[in-house]
Amino acid sequence: MVKVSIIIPVYNVERYLEECMESVLGQTLKEIEIICVNDGSSDGSPGILKEYARQDKRVILIDQENRGYGYAMNRGIERASGEYIGIVEPDDYVSLSMYEELYQKAKEYSLDLVKADFYRFKRDRSGSMQLYYNHLSPDIQDYHKVFNSSTDPDTLRYIMNTWSGIYRREFIVQNHIRHNETPGASFQDNGFFFQTFIYARRGMILDRPYYMNRRDNPDSSINSPEKVYCINVEYDYIRKLLLKDSEIWERFKYMYWFKKYHNYMGTLRRIKEEYKREYLLRFSEELKRGMALGELDKHLFSKASWRNIQSITADPEQYYLTRVYPETMNRKVFEEMEALAVQNQKLKDEIASIRRSKTFRIGKLFTSVPGKMLRLMGRRR
Amino acid sequence: MAACKVSVIIPVYQAQRYLRQCLDSVTGQTLKEIEIICVDDGSVDDSARILEEYAARDDRIRVISQENAGAGAARNRGLSEASGEYLSFLDADDFFEPDMLMRAYEKARISAAQIVVYGADRYRDDTGSFQEIPWSLRKNALPPYRPMDCRTFTDNVFKVFVGWAWDKLFEREFILRHGLLFQEQRTSNDLLFVFMAIVLAERIETVDAVLAHQRCQNPDSLSSTREKSWQCFYEALRALKERLEHFGRYRELEQDYVNYALHFSLWNLHTIQGEKKRELYQRLRKKWFKDLGIAGRRKSYFYDLGEYRQYVKIMRTSWRRYEKSE
Repeated sequence: MVKVSIIIPVYNVERYLEECMESVLGQTLKEIEIICVNDGSSDGSPGILKEYARQDKRVILIDQENRGYGYAMNRGIERASGEYIGIVEPDDYVSLSMYEELYQKAKEYSLDLVKADFYRFKRDRSGSMQLYYNHLSPDIQDYHKVFNSSTDPDTLRYIMNTWSGIYRREFIVQNHIRHNETPGASFQDNGFFFQTFIYARRGMILDRPYYMNRRDNPDSSINSPEKVYCINVEYDYIRKLLLKDSEIWERFKYMYWFKKYHNYMGTLRRIKEEYKREYLLRFSEELKRGMALGELDKHLFSKASWRNIQSITADPEQYYLTRVYPETMNRKVFEEMEALAVQNQKLKDEIASIRRSKTFRIGKLFTSVPGKMLRLMGRRR
Repeated sequence: MAACKVSVIIPVYQAQRYLRQCLDSVTGQTLKEIEIICVDDGSVDDSARILEEYAARDDRIRVISQENAGAGAARNRGLSEASGEYLSFLDADDFFEPDMLMRAYEKARISAAQIVVYGADRYRDDTGSFQEIPWSLRKNALPPYRPMDCRTFTDNVFKVFVGWAWDKLFEREFILRHGLLFQEQRTSNDLLFVFMAIVLAERIETVDAVLAHQRCQNPDSLSSTREKSWQCFYEALRALKERLEHFGRYRELEQDYVNYALHFSLWNLHTIQGEKKRELYQRLRKKWFKDLGIAGRRKSYFYDLGEYRQYVKIMRTSWRRYEKSE
């Protein structure tokens, strides 16, 4: 019997895929299946996957034309046969005991979902790794106890991700939890996250970091500045899901706006300068509409965030000029300074190496001897 | 004949003065694969003869005659006969840019939109000038991205577009799937159809160009004879609420609905004259404001405080004092 089905949606990740696959195949929990959905990769990823599938019968390969993350994830979930479902992004990797320990907790407490803390990591050019520990909740009291998120919207405050945990498959199927399949979109894990939380009656979070989330992949979808409004499209989708049941909407609309606000602010920082003004104007309009309909709860936000919301709605043009544009300029100046510092160091190194070179020393001999002689002659005169 | 891309449905009632201009601008459309269904709603002027004449010249024109039953009934009749991929409901005294259907149709096809809304203006018949009507397509309330449905609007869903049909293209299959029909009454008969389509559509698109011209200041036009049908707007609003409830969308849209109901009631009150104005005033005050869910709301429920103040004033003021103050 398969205890955990691990779904890996794969799109052009040949650089990282082996590290990911090794960490999944080496799990101490052996009763797993690994469903790799190749979403029309054009690099060496499919070849790597085929090789793994040949070596290990637990690897199931699904090939599809490029249809996007959400579609690939849904195909994977449909194909899964395990008691629980886990998700690993192909440029991330996991610790070897992750699924054994999550599964054990899930069984012990009959959980719909169990999630754990995780690391974000970067490697610098020298190859050394920077780790950032991410707590799902800042409050240790929230850990290791069963919560019912379907009646407690506050649990949606936990850091949003879909991959640091596992979900009971029957729970996913019975509640028709799916990813948005809009092609070309991003952030389709947001909708999945919302659905798992609004339906889960038994959830738990653990303060052990198992999942390693890469933050230095330049091809990662969150680094694509062209996808300006993808997050808006995803939140439109989430709103539609919540509105299917007016009780659910009434219960979760404030958390919906809380998450939306923070995601939009993140997008505002991420996108190219040329899109920021228009993005902000739209953001302002959406906030105003949300306010008019009484969908924002002041008490959920920090004081700083609430002041920020007031400024954005009161005068988005002013906000852009005083808050967004200067930040961009600061960053630009800072980046330029950094670049100049690097260049400066390079030039210094170059000078030093020239000074050390034989040609320089010999040349110096030729120029300095006559120079000294001239100076001596001058003195005599 | 090639598959029909757009069915143009035109209710015709006593339209002899402008009918030729209307039909010329429809038959002259650059989109050729269309059918033109003219429903003669019991005209007793020269309209029938003009229609016959055009039908003889252009085999895309079909003329259906019915006893006078109003434009709503005429449009429903046309809808039941239509076979096009998309539907265009035009009025016999208006006229249109030659590329209107082409541009709207292409937009619809590319984006798989169920409704396409395009820009419109008003043609002043007496002065021969055109007036912009920017509120028929409120760009500021629309998202800068697609897909767009009414939930992405950042203003009252019922005020982003106008509840008339002639500046919009509708996917026929979508209309049939939801069983949308025009109300069979004298005026405000298109509001229900248009607003329900906007609420139910999953993909709405726009063409950012003025493609239709609405004739106004026309003494024969219905708008100036609303005294005969002063209660139609109320029936339209009631039917809208009933349909929203039927489709499970009322709770979500209640605040927009109530605000629109107040807006539309006030507009009707301000644009009606004579004896019926008094009757409408008293009806609103005594019953309709309550029926429409406007009464008993807190101030912050209203988007437009000017309209809210007018409502409060009406509730506090007898007709006699109101009439004097006007």
